[in-house]
Amino acid sequence: MIKFQNITKRFPGVLALDGVSFEIAGGSCHALIGENGAGKSTLGKILAGVYTADDGAILLEDKLIAPANPLQARHLGIAMVHQELAFCPNLTVAENLCLGDLPRRGGFVDRAKMRDKARAMLAEIEADIDINAPISTLSTGHEQLVQIAAAIGTGARIIVMDEPTSSLSAGETEHLFQLIAKLKQRGLTLIYVSHRMEELFLLCDHITVLRDGRHVATERIADTNPERVVQQMVGRAMKQYTSGHLQREPGGEALRVANLSSPGKFSDITFSVRAGEIVGFAGLVGAGRSEMAQAIFGLDPAATGSVSVQEKELPLRSIKAALRAGIGLLPEDRKRLGLVLSMKCRENTSLAALNKLTRAGFVQMRREARLAQTYGDRLRVKTPSMEAAIAGLSGGNQQKIALAKWLARECDVLIVDEPTRGVDVGAKAEIHELLDELACEGKAIIVISSELPEVMNLSRRILVMREGRIVREIPRAEFFEENLMRAMAGMAG
Amino acid sequence: MSSAASVSPQPKRQIRLQEGGLVLAIVFFGVLLSIFGGSVKTPQFEIGPDGARHRVFITSATGERTPAFVEKNKFLNAQNLAQLAKDTSFIAIMAVGATIVIISGGIDLSVGAIYALASVLGALVFHSSTGGGIWPGVFACIGVAVGCGLVNGGMIVALGVHPFIITLGTMAVFRGVAFVVTKGQSVGDFPPHFRDLVRYETSGGLSLVPLAVMVAVAIAGSIFLGRLAIGRRVYAIGGNELASRFSGIRVERVKLGVYVCAGFAAGIASLIALGYYGAATSGDGQGYELNVIAASVVGGASLSGGRGTALGAVLGALLIQMISSGIVILGIDQNYSQIIIGTVVILAVVLDQLNNWLAKRRLAARAGRK
Repeated sequence: MIKFQNITKRFPGVLALDGVSFEIAGGSCHALIGENGAGKSTLGKILAGVYTADDGAILLEDKLIAPANPLQARHLGIAMVHQELAFCPNLTVAENLCLGDLPRRGGFVDRAKMRDKARAMLAEIEADIDINAPISTLSTGHEQLVQIAAAIGTGARIIVMDEPTSSLSAGETEHLFQLIAKLKQRGLTLIYVSHRMEELFLLCDHITVLRDGRHVATERIADTNPERVVQQMVGRAMKQYTSGHLQREPGGEALRVANLSSPGKFSDITFSVRAGEIVGFAGLVGAGRSEMAQAIFGLDPAATGSVSVQEKELPLRSIKAALRAGIGLLPEDRKRLGLVLSMKCRENTSLAALNKLTRAGFVQMRREARLAQTYGDRLRVKTPSMEAAIAGLSGGNQQKIALAKWLARECDVLIVDEPTRGVDVGAKAEIHELLDELACEGKAIIVISSELPEVMNLSRRILVMREGRIVREIPRAEFFEENLMRAMAGMAG
Repeated sequence: MSSAASVSPQPKRQIRLQEGGLVLAIVFFGVLLSIFGGSVKTPQFEIGPDGARHRVFITSATGERTPAFVEKNKFLNAQNLAQLAKDTSFIAIMAVGATIVIISGGIDLSVGAIYALASVLGALVFHSSTGGGIWPGVFACIGVAVGCGLVNGGMIVALGVHPFIITLGTMAVFRGVAFVVTKGQSVGDFPPHFRDLVRYETSGGLSLVPLAVMVAVAIAGSIFLGRLAIGRRVYAIGGNELASRFSGIRVERVKLGVYVCAGFAAGIASLIALGYYGAATSGDGQGYELNVIAASVVGGASLSGGRGTALGAVLGALLIQMISSGIVILGIDQNYSQIIIGTVVILAVVLDQLNNWLAKRRLAARAGRK
């Protein structure tokens, strides 16, 4: 039995967990659910020793534990299956599996013994994987299996799974579910971190809902239902936000993309967006949506086809041309692609608009400060001042600055890729309102999101992408989650 | 964290803690040297009616003439301070250029070699253009250095190889070219007017030209980094190259620019040194790259990019130079100087990291009170 008592964890600018207490029964499969930023992954990582709690206690079989690193957690029998990059990608499966305890003979690695050991570990979970293949050549699903094999092989009795199905194919997911059922039979305790409702109700015995770093409820799966859990996650009944831009008739064609292709990423993308229109792009992870967005923005050196703004064709593969034509791109990963975290809020806001604020090479500091202030206020960015370091802001406010950067440039065509990922509920609603406002002002907007309710709420029509192609266009009247899911998964409509 | 942004739109000028700390360290060390350095007797001079300097003699009662001496604080005297300023200036000028490169997330190991190559080629031009004034030599010196910077930047951008490797290579190449051109010989003997200009001395015997150039370069560097759009882009690229690209910054162009800046700074330093010393060899500036990088880092530049200032680079160079001259003044065994300087560099970076860590903790604590 695992008991969390008053667990608190702070990150710069965010209170990730705020006095969370609940129990997990031994030998059960326990779901941790919550929106992005609710703190579910953080809690799993504290148990597995990736993070240490700032406050509170963890009891394992009534004994106080405080794993300071993943190795200590391993010794306590706790392991974590991560979403990505848990291994050295250049080493083989066998080497990775034995990395913590390489069989040696006289100082040299005993390769034969290492392979035997690795084979035995994989056989334990009935996984059929080539032990001599480098990890980098495996699919995400296989890599996860190797992680599970490594966990069980080192004697783990408690396994934390962090969004295990987020990038698996349907077949891989099925296999994982069977494996989880078997592990449960063996008496292992599984902590399943996810926000996919269906899976949890299929696999888990108990469910704990977190919201904004706080514990909301821990219940038996049998005693609850999906609607109830959603309400607990959101904290209020889902308010259907009615988009104002839908009441207006969109203007002329602002962006036209024709036969846009990039080898291995996407092919033959053709669509257009009118001024004042929001077009949603739905699809599974890896369907090529972000890659397409980057190609429109001129970032794909291999792109072919044509992109036109206001009926003027742009030279492809040129960010300069895209910027000049008034295209802006809010990328999916704000920390990696969207923001310069070592800079201030003001400097991040003006980064793309710097040309317009420059006279004879000099940045006009007053105009810049005024511009940053204007957009900081308009987006209601919560910060002590625009001079504050952006690293200290919460995820939602950082995202607002990333968006402000493009508003400051006054672009006419805005592509937003996962605009509310890792953003708290309040900021999310504000960003949605803002996108609606922008559409009302006549901007053409493309929304790429993996959260179906988000695309459905905002868009006038949705284009579904699958394996690099647009497979369906769905008008607003036919927006049903099932409809979209079927198209995304490639089932007949 | 609770109130929305509603402060005055005026950007506040704030002196960074790092520089404040450096100034404190420099003042502290200066006071230390003044107090513990003791005093020294130096011969007394006076300016005679013919304008030349003469020793002052004291005629004793017995008619014996003995030279007169004045007692001066070993550290705190005009001569020593001018000497310190001159010694600092060459490294400081180059450190401003190196800091720009380091802020962009790069590194330039070839500045010492650029300095040498620019020196000898500049010296050759000065030597051969006896009648043509000083400009051909000045242009040769600066032009060569800027050209070297272009070669560095061009290769880094075009080949996509890490700047450490490229400049490690060009460090050897540039110095090799300097050696081949001069056949290892010293190049000197050029028109005196350039030398006279650089060695211009005030009536007290202080040469202020290197100091003035250093101040000018520091101001130019500060304006470049703090006020120009390209400076902002340098910080952005060093902070997050991908995000900069996604914001429409032409990363390659900026990168090329920063290596040209580093070359330009090395060219200015070599020009001043050339005028001051009046000769150049291919061995000049050996090991300067490390002093220059040390000065930048002590001055607060982060090797992972995105952080640093021109003022910090100059102060860093000054602190390092003060320590090495302090070792002489305090009469510490010269052999220890490298050990002491190395320790100071590490200490400075550790203190800086400690400071950052504390700032991060403060931020986290603030979030907790939300």
